[in-house]
Amino acid sequence: MKKIAKSLFTIVLVFAAAVCSGMAAAQSYPSKPLRLIIPFPPGGSNDIVGRLIATKLTERLGKQVVADNRGGAGGVIGTEIAAKSEPDGHTLLIVSSAYAINTSLYKLPYDPIKAFTPVAKLGTGPNVLTVFPGLPVNSVKDLIALAKEKAGKLNFAAAGVGSFQHLGTELFRMLAGIDIAIVQFKGGGPAMIDVIGGHTHATLGSLIQFMPHIKSGKLKALGTGGSKRSVVLPDVPTIAEAGVPGYEANNWWGILAPAGTPPSIVGRLHKELSVILSLAEIQKRFLDQGAEVDEMGPAEFGPFIAAEMAKWARVVKEGNIKAE
Amino acid sequence: MELLGNVIFGFSVALSLQNLLYCFIGVLVGTLIGVLPGIGPMATIAMLMPLTFNVPPVAALIMLAGIYYGAMYGGSTTSILVNLPGETASVVTCIDGYQMARQGRAGAALAIAAIGSFFAGTVCTLLIALFGPPLAEIALKFGSPEYFSLMLMGLVAAAVLAHGDMVKSLAMVVMGLLLGIVGADVNSGIKRFSFGVYELADGIGVVVIAVGVFAVGEIISNLSDPEERQVFTSKVTNLFPTKEDLKQSFGAIVRGTAVGAFFGVLPGTTPAIASFSSYMVEKKLAKDPSRFGRGAIEGVAGPESANNADAQCKFIPMLTLGIPASGTMALMLGALMIYGITPGPGVMTEKPDLFWGLIASMWIGNVMLVVLNLPLVGMWVSLLKVPYRLLFPAIMLFSAIGIYSVNNSSFDIYLMAVFGILGIVWRMLECSPVPMMLGFVLGPMVEENLRRALQVSRGDPSVFVTRPISLGFIVATVLILIVMVLPAVRKRRGDITD
Repeated sequence: MKKIAKSLFTIVLVFAAAVCSGMAAAQSYPSKPLRLIIPFPPGGSNDIVGRLIATKLTERLGKQVVADNRGGAGGVIGTEIAAKSEPDGHTLLIVSSAYAINTSLYKLPYDPIKAFTPVAKLGTGPNVLTVFPGLPVNSVKDLIALAKEKAGKLNFAAAGVGSFQHLGTELFRMLAGIDIAIVQFKGGGPAMIDVIGGHTHATLGSLIQFMPHIKSGKLKALGTGGSKRSVVLPDVPTIAEAGVPGYEANNWWGILAPAGTPPSIVGRLHKELSVILSLAEIQKRFLDQGAEVDEMGPAEFGPFIAAEMAKWARVVKEGNIKAE
Repeated sequence: MELLGNVIFGFSVALSLQNLLYCFIGVLVGTLIGVLPGIGPMATIAMLMPLTFNVPPVAALIMLAGIYYGAMYGGSTTSILVNLPGETASVVTCIDGYQMARQGRAGAALAIAAIGSFFAGTVCTLLIALFGPPLAEIALKFGSPEYFSLMLMGLVAAAVLAHGDMVKSLAMVVMGLLLGIVGADVNSGIKRFSFGVYELADGIGVVVIAVGVFAVGEIISNLSDPEERQVFTSKVTNLFPTKEDLKQSFGAIVRGTAVGAFFGVLPGTTPAIASFSSYMVEKKLAKDPSRFGRGAIEGVAGPESANNADAQCKFIPMLTLGIPASGTMALMLGALMIYGITPGPGVMTEKPDLFWGLIASMWIGNVMLVVLNLPLVGMWVSLLKVPYRLLFPAIMLFSAIGIYSVNNSSFDIYLMAVFGILGIVWRMLECSPVPMMLGFVLGPMVEENLRRALQVSRGDPSVFVTRPISLGFIVATVLILIVMVLPAVRKRRGDITD
């Protein structure tokens, strides 16, 4: 008797729970914890920006947003996992310039155009071109003149084939019309150390990483990669204004959702994200990282990614860069 | 006596209640993640960093640093007890530490690892305080040619690791080199032997191989021979090292510290290289090298001192030049900047509380680690009395969790299983996996730096002998070769059956 009563009670409970959860799903998003896939291991810029956004989204949405690092293969592994997730707004992906670059470098296990729907662009991280202080140049023009005088003699350190730093350097080489060697390292850190040690001549990389060495004089900053001067280094001209018109190479971060995510959910996420990005605390956090908040909604972010893909595809093709 | 004043100032900062607390939390968390295989200081620091933003920078940095060097202490525990390397740098400790445990001397091995680490930590704290900036400047002189020559020397010296058959050892080194080739080539970006598998695009994780070959392989082998287990637990003798042990270890600890400090200052090396080098030095200097691999206490004392010295000295380039010597250091550098501190030569003068406070806290942290670890020795050793039917699944579970946590990838767990099987095959063929690990760690660095050096010199190989530091290593390499080949030749003539 007791047993029957117990199982009856269980059935009622389960039924009630099912009804409640069904109603909740229809009424409000999010209905369960969200997952923000970070397609890089902990520690990089994607990870830092991603965790920051995840914490704030948790506060705004009232449900836990879990930062889930799925690093490997230049971001391809994590991106693929996101592409194959349920498009119900509970799985999101943070992407950076690598997402646009990978399109023209690798055979991808997902369709980079159709697999995702853009949610919002979050920020921009400028690059800076620096040289070993022992190199007798003081400006981008000097560097180009020296590279032309000593054709094929200058070495630029980069963070690995197909890395953003590599393509940014390649773009510089193409637009400046110079003959330089690009020497690859395992990551931006080792590349920078080699230039500080004077073993290679110049390197282009993220402002935040180079900042302390620019301040201490171990690296000389010649130009930044943005379309306007960086607020962090206002005295340094952009590479474009310093003699390479048309040059622009910035890192950026944004949020994507799997294709098919309901537009109402994308709209809600964008709304929350723009509130988060307008917080003074978040803007300061970006500045601390040498980056700037640079918000775009779904309507702008989509074409922006398409333009980035086209730009880097051209550099990859003309530079004859192969990664497979 | 400016230094003395600075040191006293540092202690006054580090001994505040708050900083002591954070230091303790740091070394405790570090010890725990060190014990767990796979999950390393880098991932832990990345995840804990956001929590520290509301903490004063000095306290936060003291804690993060504690996690980092604490992990080096913890890493040895499981290596010694169950042949499970908690960190990459502890792979070497498995060789003799685990053999000591099998002979009932786990307590002595654990204690000597803690004592050696403490000695190394103390020396390196002094080193940072006294010679930090000039040492860092020297490290900058190392470019690709220097790293190539240094690593080449290590690879040649690997022959010392040979245990028994020389040909088998060489074959295992080559096996390690081949495994190291897997993944995207740094210089060209071409993916090698990844067979279209994206998980292999970045190469095979060193922890995956180490845990598979050492821990999983050991479990399989123990299961096939239930007799052995009895011997293992029945004669747990003294918990602490004897006078004889201490006497034997002293030289190894001093040399290990020196080796570790050297590699620690160089930004381009990993702690595993320091501990391997120290092991090779000890084996070469030992009166009876055949004891190595059979529970020689110097084989634990040297490498454990070396990896702690390396971890500690990695702070030299970071603090004095703002140069991150490893991924973990890059993270701490990032943390500093978030706190509004620009790392570099300025830190010492602009933020003396941070610089000297951190250095003093490192020494305090090392004291805490010894105090924390020595009493734990008894507890760890009693773990060995847990029946194997419980211990084995637990080791497997922790290995799998640890490996998974590195990349959140189940592929790595399968890969670990594959290496477990390979480990048992090698064991049956009597091929030691140690030279393989060395080949795996050094091979990619040798190749990368060789090709980069040649690219920068536009194909001119003379760069290796015209740069003085590189030339020094090349000469040393040739000398090592001669020293090693001569007795082998003489021996073969004298005694063919040997």
